Amino acid sequence: MAEPLDRAVEELTARKELLGWTVTHRRVRGEQLFADRQRVEARRSIESDQLILDALCTSDGASEPPGCGAASATVTAGEDPGPAIEFAIAAARRTRNQPYSLPSPAPLPDVDLADPVLQADLSGALRSLHERLDACASRDPAARLTLAEWFAEAEETHLVNSQGIDARQSRTELSLEWIVLAGQGQERVETLIDLDRRRLADLDVEAEWEEIARQTADRHSAGAAPMYTGPVVLRGNALRTFLNSGPFQTLGSGRSRFSKLSPWEPGHSIFRGEVRGDPLTVWATRVIPYGKHASRFDEEGLAGQRVLLVDQNVFRSYSASQRYATYLSVPATGSFGDIEVPPGSASVADLIAEPHVEVITWSDFSPEPTIGDFAAEIRLGYHVENGRRRPFSGGLLVGNLFDALADVRWSAETGFFGSYLGPTTARFASLQVTPSRAT
Amino acid sequence: MTTSTPTLTIPPPMAELRPRLPDSVATLQARSPYAAVLLSAREGISISVEAREEEISQMPRSVGTVLSVFDGETLNEKSLPGFDGDRLMAASRELAGSLPKGRGSGRVETVPPRDFATTGAVPLESLALEDKLERCRDLQRRLAAADPRVVNAQVSYLEYDESSVYRSRDADLSQRVLRGRLSVFVVLSQNGETRYDWLSKGDTGDWQPLDYSDADLHEVVQGAARLFSAERIEPAEYVVVSGPGVSGVLCHESFGHGVETDLFPKERARAFDYIGRQVGSPLVNIIDDPSLPGCYSSYFFDDEGMLSRPATIVEHGVFLRGISDMASAQRLGIERTANGRRQDYTRKPYARMSNTYFGPGSTSMEEILAQVDRGIYLDQWVNGMEDPQGWGIQITCHYGQEIRNGKITDRTFAPVSISGYVPDVLGTIRAASPTVMMDQGTCGKGHKEYVRNSSGGPSLLLRTTLG
Repeated sequence: MAEPLDRAVEELTARKELLGWTVTHRRVRGEQLFADRQRVEARRSIESDQLILDALCTSDGASEPPGCGAASATVTAGEDPGPAIEFAIAAARRTRNQPYSLPSPAPLPDVDLADPVLQADLSGALRSLHERLDACASRDPAARLTLAEWFAEAEETHLVNSQGIDARQSRTELSLEWIVLAGQGQERVETLIDLDRRRLADLDVEAEWEEIARQTADRHSAGAAPMYTGPVVLRGNALRTFLNSGPFQTLGSGRSRFSKLSPWEPGHSIFRGEVRGDPLTVWATRVIPYGKHASRFDEEGLAGQRVLLVDQNVFRSYSASQRYATYLSVPATGSFGDIEVPPGSASVADLIAEPHVEVITWSDFSPEPTIGDFAAEIRLGYHVENGRRRPFSGGLLVGNLFDALADVRWSAETGFFGSYLGPTTARFASLQVTPSRAT
Repeated sequence: MTTSTPTLTIPPPMAELRPRLPDSVATLQARSPYAAVLLSAREGISISVEAREEEISQMPRSVGTVLSVFDGETLNEKSLPGFDGDRLMAASRELAGSLPKGRGSGRVETVPPRDFATTGAVPLESLALEDKLERCRDLQRRLAAADPRVVNAQVSYLEYDESSVYRSRDADLSQRVLRGRLSVFVVLSQNGETRYDWLSKGDTGDWQPLDYSDADLHEVVQGAARLFSAERIEPAEYVVVSGPGVSGVLCHESFGHGVETDLFPKERARAFDYIGRQVGSPLVNIIDDPSLPGCYSSYFFDDEGMLSRPATIVEHGVFLRGISDMASAQRLGIERTANGRRQDYTRKPYARMSNTYFGPGSTSMEEILAQVDRGIYLDQWVNGMEDPQGWGIQITCHYGQEIRNGKITDRTFAPVSISGYVPDVLGTIRAASPTVMMDQGTCGKGHKEYVRNSSGGPSLLLRTTLG
């Protein structure tokens, strides 16, 4: 693994006009399996092997203070990196920016990123997982597995920069997409589940099948969405989707702040009104073991950190690259990572005891990223009242992400959901559900 | 897209490996009725200019070789990085060795190579990098000066350089396609609040369609400014006039994703039960055409070697056919269309859209608006999501504007979600304007398998639920 990177480092080191450089050698091998309920339709094996070269140098032309420019280029490992280096330097020199420097070495976290079982046999792992899924599906007469796509990858990364960073990490990634049907003809419905994990042990095939089969059966018997304003409960994967939908990542970003897209300032509440629920604390973290966005270091070489983004409703720290950290005079934290929320004080039993609507899945949940407004179509929800849990499909969940989080109660029970670690359940005091389909 | 004497050629490493591909195909073909090798290079540059920053970068490259064998039921593929002849042959022998014996002929025909490349009035490749940067800077300065409330104006240029060589038993094809997309994004600040809007133009091969007039920039600024007074819309059914952008997404999510034939054998597409049946008003004509000259998602052949040609999906409201990849066409026993596309060499081909659009109508925009006492004009879409099983549509728009007594007013609603049942929505279309305009974007199958895409149409008059 050393040789392609060494050659690029040698050539970049010789370029005295550079203020700094970074070379990342990234190798990925993967296996993919595609099946329907009758058979395996396709098998694929993949490899990629690349060097990513980043150059930082003084901008052409006289200016006071001197500006700097940065550019990156990619080359397949084994190819001559010369042309890519020439492109990167020429491109960097043409652009003008406020000066900044590259990250310096820092202790890297010992965060678990790779599953040795998966690394040892990607193909065998997928085969075994699919056999388990097939076994579940064959025992279930009502739910029909119509699509199962499996992706397993093992990645090795080595990053070196001109400031002295020399870091390595290994990661595994397991992704799946299942689609399950219920019913026939015009009454037919489907449920889709897509999950990302790094470790086989974090994927309980049987439990996930049971859940998706139940959801599909409920969608099949689902009625129309109610006209409703009141408490809404989100749990597990739905809560993960809600929190990872974009507003925290956009508004908490140093880059967004520098480009004047984000109004968030440290020391100020993120909420526009009174907070009536549990106070909100959020970490942006790259050190959740086997977290989807966990890393020892990011694409710049910045060490993985657990950044306190919001503390008791107050914004504390941007998620910032070295560049924007320099521009904003804030600590460099690296890329955003996963979301972590501390446990609440209520039990799940208490949170779901009173009438509410629970949303399981949406067609797509994409709030406006700088305000947080959303109107998302519900694929499956439940209206819970008088001891009954009635499934519905097709309404719109309407609201504002931050207004919702200003009046929420979190469960004491916590769980890990790939890109989210925190309470399994959240009860939002008041959101709106409206019927969405013209008839 | 012109194909006469192209000046663009495929990258030298691909050209050097090309003569060895028949040997690879023959090795694979000895064990499988169908075998092919695809050389694929996806690369490009990005230029970004804003108030206090500039950046030029090469976009992440995806460059590699795909060996494919298909026995009519199972597709087996091996994807390798780069274009190494020795590695290609070793991988060919390994893949062939993993297959059962005696299923193929081993015969590869000698066929004349066919080479294609994009070009244009001002070919993208004719402008130097410095020139493109200066054009972006100029545009950024113009946008920044367009209004005193502008606190940031960003211009970004993305140029995708996609080359492929496809060799099978009876086809030897190469193409090089340059796609350019120039976008402006403006941030306004007023009373401590910020709002933004954007506009994007794209083409395949030509810089000329990427020019921005002062009127274009004024409209983007006004779009952002309207949002300071935007209201939440009351969820209900509305009369809607969709601009070409929203018409395109409606087309894309309804009879684009909904008719990708790889869904048909899996019982995932409601449309399968409607082949030959009325699915919309007689004004509805929907076409997918990867051969459309200059269109953002055009190509000369798909990733499975099928030469591009249009596919009429819906004609006068009757659903005729879906769009296919090779495997689903074979399984369904239907004629293939040129829609077998991969995200890149590391991903499998699926049935995917290219340039998908509503055909033109004959009612002018003035006549369309005159029919609306109260309604909403929608054109600035953000994203859409398909639901081929439920035949639903969900489209999110950045904002919409009130139509009152035939006029588009300044009253603005944001955001606005469109939600509906496909036949219901298409059935309400009662007018279409004469001019088709195409938008550009990226399309996923669910939340993965991203490919360049274009959608569009005329302005449409319809009814649907908004929230």
